[in-house]
Amino acid sequence: MSDSRASWRAHPAARLVDAAARHPAVVPLAAVAVAVLIGGVIIAAAGLDPVTAYAAVLAGALDPDTLDYTFSVWGFICGMALVAAIPLRMGEFNLGGNGQLVLGGLAAALVAGQSGLPPLVAVPVALLAAAVLAGGFGALSAPLSTRFGIPIIISTLLLSPIAVAVVSYLVRFRIGEAGAAVAQTERFPEGARMWAIGDLSYTNVGLLVVIGLMVAFWLVDSRTAVGFELRVVGANRRFGAYGGVRVGRLAFGAMAASGAVAGVVGAIITLSSPYRLIDGALLSPGYTFAGLAAALLAGGRPALIPVTAILFTVLQVGGAAMERSADVPRQLSDVLQGVVIVVLALRTVIDSRRSGESGAR
Amino acid sequence: MTLPAAQLTGISKRFNAVVANDGVDLVLRRGTVHAVMGENGAGKSTLMSILFGLLSPDAGQILIAGRPQVFTSPLDAIAAGLGMVHQHFKLFDSLSVAANVVYGAEPRRAGLFDRRAAEARVRELGERYGLQIDPRARVSSLSVGERQRVEILKALHRDATILILDEPTAVLTPGEVTTLFAVIRRAADAGTTVVLVTHKINEVLTVSDEVTVLRDGRVTGHFLTGETSSAQLVHAMTGREVRPVSNPGLGSPGATVLQVRDAGVVDAGITRVRSVSFAVRAGEIVGIAGVSGNGQHELVEAILGTRPTQSGTVELLGADVTRWTVRDRRLRGVAVIPEDRRGEGSAIGMSITENLALGHHRTAPIGAERGIRRGWISVRAARAEARALIAGYDVRTAGEQQSVGSLSGGNAQKVVIARELSHNAPLLIAEQPTQGVDVGAIEAIHGRLLDYRAGGGAILLVSHEISELLALADRILVMLDGALVAEFSRADATTAGIGAAMAGLAAQNLPNGSRP
Repeated sequence: MSDSRASWRAHPAARLVDAAARHPAVVPLAAVAVAVLIGGVIIAAAGLDPVTAYAAVLAGALDPDTLDYTFSVWGFICGMALVAAIPLRMGEFNLGGNGQLVLGGLAAALVAGQSGLPPLVAVPVALLAAAVLAGGFGALSAPLSTRFGIPIIISTLLLSPIAVAVVSYLVRFRIGEAGAAVAQTERFPEGARMWAIGDLSYTNVGLLVVIGLMVAFWLVDSRTAVGFELRVVGANRRFGAYGGVRVGRLAFGAMAASGAVAGVVGAIITLSSPYRLIDGALLSPGYTFAGLAAALLAGGRPALIPVTAILFTVLQVGGAAMERSADVPRQLSDVLQGVVIVVLALRTVIDSRRSGESGAR
Repeated sequence: MTLPAAQLTGISKRFNAVVANDGVDLVLRRGTVHAVMGENGAGKSTLMSILFGLLSPDAGQILIAGRPQVFTSPLDAIAAGLGMVHQHFKLFDSLSVAANVVYGAEPRRAGLFDRRAAEARVRELGERYGLQIDPRARVSSLSVGERQRVEILKALHRDATILILDEPTAVLTPGEVTTLFAVIRRAADAGTTVVLVTHKINEVLTVSDEVTVLRDGRVTGHFLTGETSSAQLVHAMTGREVRPVSNPGLGSPGATVLQVRDAGVVDAGITRVRSVSFAVRAGEIVGIAGVSGNGQHELVEAILGTRPTQSGTVELLGADVTRWTVRDRRLRGVAVIPEDRRGEGSAIGMSITENLALGHHRTAPIGAERGIRRGWISVRAARAEARALIAGYDVRTAGEQQSVGSLSGGNAQKVVIARELSHNAPLLIAEQPTQGVDVGAIEAIHGRLLDYRAGGGAILLVSHEISELLALADRILVMLDGALVAEFSRADATTAGIGAAMAGLAAQNLPNGSRP
């Protein structure tokens, strides 16, 4: 019996299948497939038709009339995926995207609404201010980790609600529009709004900024000494320290960059239609965790982020359409995101078993 | 003729593209000591893991006492009468010897654990096999050699008729090795079949009855120990003759490269290094002997800067670097071949190119120290460098983009050595540079270390192998319990003298400031 198994292994076709099964794309694709299946089961259990529901998701996301909106959402999710991916490269998790996002929005709102800068200068200054404020806030977690031993995943998660609460307070009571029913700032002047592309109403130059950031991350990751050190530390922290990488400094830089990107995304959203900072509006679409899921699905690899972000964009945008036309609650999108993350977490377990086996040699 | 205790026929096992075992036959005769030897990556561990049920073979058959067996886990193997003592012990530190020995097959009385019966069992087994040990002692209070006895007792308690010992002497002092060999002989005389996995020829010749040699996953020799010679065994292991390298003698050492003064290291409240002082000069190899875990590794970490010192100073080329970062120390001139090549010396998930580039990635040709290319990396240059080092150090691999995790242990070690030697740093610290490396590669590595010294390099060589230190070092310091307890010049160094100092039996020629 064991002989037949050996000959099966030696067969070239079997070897091809074997190699294909170990391709790095297999796990992410399987994660998505499993998520879609589980989602289908949930929809069916609710007495609805999964095929109709998924068709509604796709149709809603890819509807030519709203493609403009879909693209803008893709940009925000790509941006927040970048926020997660930068520290993920060195094995750290930034779960404070929400706090950094609203701080970016706050900085942008202050510059755009109150500085009175001339049109050409206002937008770049607003983006810069957002990057500095949110980047500084994100960078706080690095010394907390190196000096006091508080893991970055914990400090970012716990610091985030503080920033969210402070910004919420400011919008409600300090910088908000007097007499409005909603806690929001006044509309920014024309010159302090994100530059439009043609006559598109949602997608604007902000998308190009995000694409620029993704290209920059790809370059840094693959072509610079810092990017190399980031990957080395992510692969084996002790190896990095032994090789002379200043891990604490690297963490500081990664968290500052990660926070800065979140700030820029917050600024872009705030400076886009409806051109005001509205309490809660930056958080309710859930870009932070959609971005985190996209980054995890991409394994932090810069080149894959735009691709995995498509999936979560479709879920996000199509989810609303599905609710309307197939009567499936949009929370299903969150469920699918959750399942993808769980399946990816399982990969870690499977990987360690696998390497344990081959390591026995 | 009686039935063999175990018979393995045509065992094959592949890991992805690597053939670890290829049609291996092994016959273990009852009541004999059978050595399984081979270089690292020859397939010894895979074969033993298959015999013990940790891995399932792709092909082949296992007969235990004449009956075919298919093991799906070590539990099946234990039930069939096998016992294995791994290199890394699997003991509960906070429990007693007796509890550890009977764990998994406890004597019970009225459904409860019978401690007295367990202790009596340990005494009885100890007397029968000459493995005296206090059954009530906590494992945490035992020496490494004693822990190994507990592991052996564990297997004997389960009535193992075939006892597999995987590199059992790697962690022992010379005295403990002698005791272990006596136990092995006694067990064999009592009818137990002992499998000794090793790559040390003198052990094979001392204690075994039969030898099976593996190379590249195949059996390349099977001998009765009485009818073979070390030359024949080396030939079977390497496929060629090996001439041992030895130190051609000291030239005139130059300026002091490393000066350690009163260095102390405390880790989690435990003193690892006690007031150690010594110097290494250019063109000199200073050896540090000692049983693993006596502070050698912490001392190396303190010199490299990955671990802070609590007291004392470290000077490199005349500069006090005690508070410097690892990067600055490396720039000043230190390279390290670390003991733990998987955990510290490499990133097994990254490619050979990337592993070789770390530390070289900010200098030409991969990076640039100044100008417009500063901070950028040339992937092409990194790959070219990697190809050159792979060729120069004879790393056996399908290409420079393979992951280091896919290499055999010896080849992974060559990657680490290539990276560190190519720094041409004034000080090279080599920790166990030939650990787990095959005989042919040992010769090459030793040759390179001597060349490094001849080129004016200062080398601090930390090794558990006295023979390695005798072959290479100009001076040998002995480390015990965090302190330097003896110093031997090349002229008066002997295995017996160093072994005694390692075991704390003699102290002589104490270096300055290192008195315990």
